[in-house]
Amino acid sequence: MTVIWTQDGIVENDPWAQPGSDSGSKLLPLAEALEHARDNAAFGVVLQPADDVRALAPILDRVAIIALTFPAFSDGRAFSQAMLLRERLGYQGEMRAVGTVLLDQVPLMLRTGFDSFEVAHAPTIKRLAEKRLPGIDLHYQPAADETHAGPGYSWRRTAMLNG
Amino acid sequence: MKTAATKTKVLTANRLTDGIAVWLGANGEWTTSLKEAFLARHDDAVAAIESAGQQALDDNRVVDVNVIEVEETEAGPRPFRLRERIRSDGPTIDYAPAFTAGVSHAA
Amino acid sequence: MYRYDEFDHAFVAARVNQFRDQVERRLSGEISEDAFKPLRLMNGVYLQLHAYMLRVAVPYGTLNSRQMRKLAHIARTYDRGYGHFTTRQNIQYNWPKLSDMPEILEELAEVEMHAIQTSGNCIRNVTADHFAGAAADEVADPRPYAEILRQWSSVHPEFSFLPRKFKIAVTAAERDRAAIQTHDIGLQLKKNDKGELGFAVWIGGGQGRTPILAKKVRDFLPEADLLSYVTAIMRVYNLHGRRDNKYKARIKILVHETGVEKLTTEIEAEWAHLKDGELKLPEADIAAINAYFEPPKLGDRAEGWGELAAWKRSDPGFADWVGRNVAPHQHPDYGMVTISLKPIGGIPGDATAEQMDAVARLAEDYSHDEIRVTHEQNLVLPHVALADLEPLYRALLVEGLATANAGLITDIIACPGLDYCALANARSIPVAQEISNRFGDPARQAEIGDLKIKISGCINACGHHHVGHIGILGVEKKGAELYQISLGGSADENASIGQITGRGFGPDQITDAIETIVDTYLTERISSEETFIACYRRIGAEPFKAALYASEAEAA
Repeated sequence: MTVIWTQDGIVENDPWAQPGSDSGSKLLPLAEALEHARDNAAFGVVLQPADDVRALAPILDRVAIIALTFPAFSDGRAFSQAMLLRERLGYQGEMRAVGTVLLDQVPLMLRTGFDSFEVAHAPTIKRLAEKRLPGIDLHYQPAADETHAGPGYSWRRTAMLNG
Repeated sequence: MKTAATKTKVLTANRLTDGIAVWLGANGEWTTSLKEAFLARHDDAVAAIESAGQQALDDNRVVDVNVIEVEETEAGPRPFRLRERIRSDGPTIDYAPAFTAGVSHAA
Repeated sequence: MYRYDEFDHAFVAARVNQFRDQVERRLSGEISEDAFKPLRLMNGVYLQLHAYMLRVAVPYGTLNSRQMRKLAHIARTYDRGYGHFTTRQNIQYNWPKLSDMPEILEELAEVEMHAIQTSGNCIRNVTADHFAGAAADEVADPRPYAEILRQWSSVHPEFSFLPRKFKIAVTAAERDRAAIQTHDIGLQLKKNDKGELGFAVWIGGGQGRTPILAKKVRDFLPEADLLSYVTAIMRVYNLHGRRDNKYKARIKILVHETGVEKLTTEIEAEWAHLKDGELKLPEADIAAINAYFEPPKLGDRAEGWGELAAWKRSDPGFADWVGRNVAPHQHPDYGMVTISLKPIGGIPGDATAEQMDAVARLAEDYSHDEIRVTHEQNLVLPHVALADLEPLYRALLVEGLATANAGLITDIIACPGLDYCALANARSIPVAQEISNRFGDPARQAEIGDLKIKISGCINACGHHHVGHIGILGVEKKGAELYQISLGGSADENASIGQITGRGFGPDQITDAIETIVDTYLTERISSEETFIACYRRIGAEPFKAALYASEAEAA
């Protein structure tokens, strides 16, 4: 079973059903999204690692959700795609990690601007539901997440702890 | 009827907790000595050790499970590949004087 | 040297706990080996032939005595009493248990050390000139910049799953002792006309299956732009580096296939967005990191000059050692001492726990508590007064650490090879040992002069064979070990890739073949002033090939 998780917990009745599920995907590939942008309805996009996220720039204000794909844990292109979307293009909407989403990568994904996660591995879902993320709250570099300026040097950051 | 003749095979792996090289023994336990390894001399036996290896892998007892070919000698099974001989006998060099004092190496 | 502040201590402690959690999940069976492997690699844990291996980072090769004693303690407590210093200035332990790893890392954290990113497809330990901070010929100490890079790259959220591993080296002298042209990014610290510090930036060097030397993409990058520019390089590489074939995934292939001009344009375009952003280094931060690397206060010790001359006259062994293993220091009364980990017939780079303890003590007594690890698998005491060389030498002799062979034919680089490594195809260490024994006579070594032999047990080239004056690559052919020879490689400022001579040699022939090459050099050289590599560059490979394959030529 696949679930959608955000830092608020597991999402029930997610409107953007994932590809391959019974209800069918509402997320459009890049080419279709660029086409669809002529209509008015809000829509979601699913990008592959080789897609150039900058192609979305002209239609970004119409996009409700962007899913970035991790075809394997070792394929880290979506980390850079996420950084570009958040930092370069100023995308503010939901950004979802789909594909191979490992527990230990979730903290890094949060840092690069992901805010929802499609997860299938049962022990991972359990850990996420319990909010037991295996992350480190001290960072040696700025990224796309909201952080405090770290002590000492300009490149350091510390996590915003909620609650 | 006999099963097709094959080279003798043994099952090897590394223990999960400490990584030490082990071989599957005749009693179904993993042993640190190749001499005590179960010798699979025909296809059915090979299939049996392969299945035991998969089970041990699934049970997270060992990692890096492989079936290797050995030659049966009077001194015991001798792997064909140098890599496997070194796994069985240890480094071919005098590597840790304090630790290996009194331990002999097979080249 | 750099000292951890509270932030660093808390970070490394958190990283140890993170890894402890990962190990616990693995041991409990919650995650499979496939899921665990990238996690353990990211923290330097490999599975080798006989056991796990732990690679501990020695950032830019700098250690103090307390850290060295801890390395000795770990060797004794969790391993078999020794460790192996590597070509990336790290140390490897060959026998630790997985279940002990969290405890080992906790012990390392006590002395401000870790194993973060010593493997995996991420930014690896940043290396530097092992004489940095002491060498007479450097523009400035390059290690502060290596430290800034170390911090910035630690658990980098964007660059932890790159197409392949990524190695950065930094130097600050024209004479390149850090092999920057064989790294993914090579940085040469230099001054511009105005006297400002900055970097010549090289990218796309690497060894492995396809050895390629780095290309210069920037002649002068202001120091303030270090992190933004490296980020631009990393982002372009992360997005566009090949992921379909691990042998084509290093940045060197991206540079080669894209073309250095086009790729440079892409990097510069990315950098244009980043350069005035939050990665720009404030002068105050650079100065603060630099302050940690203030050289020790070295008092004048002019008495050493006279004493040294007298000692050399009375002990030829000492004179040889000073001649080979002591290099000029910034302060004229001091020297930089190479402690050879290449005893004749020994295992290159190995040191016992007792030797590590001895080096720690000698560093305290004679080198202002500083030790360096070299990419040539030796150790260095960087600040030794000439007046202290004689007692230091006596102490090193007792520990078997006074071999006077730095830069000579027996100062061989060798990877662990098939004696330990799961990737190896052939053994490296026994080949190094036999060559060392064959040429062990001091007079013979001295006659041959500067000559670098580098041995790898597989094409991954951890033993740097491509850039050895004589390179040896072990391969497996029809189940047997076979050794290919290459000639003319070099890893310094005049870097070059060695050329393969022809068919390989069996384990029982390889030392004879090396002797044939050396004899050919001795015959062909103009004088003893002409080094092996200079001679090779003058006469080319043919005379060596003719000598190596003479019997075949006659038979044909």
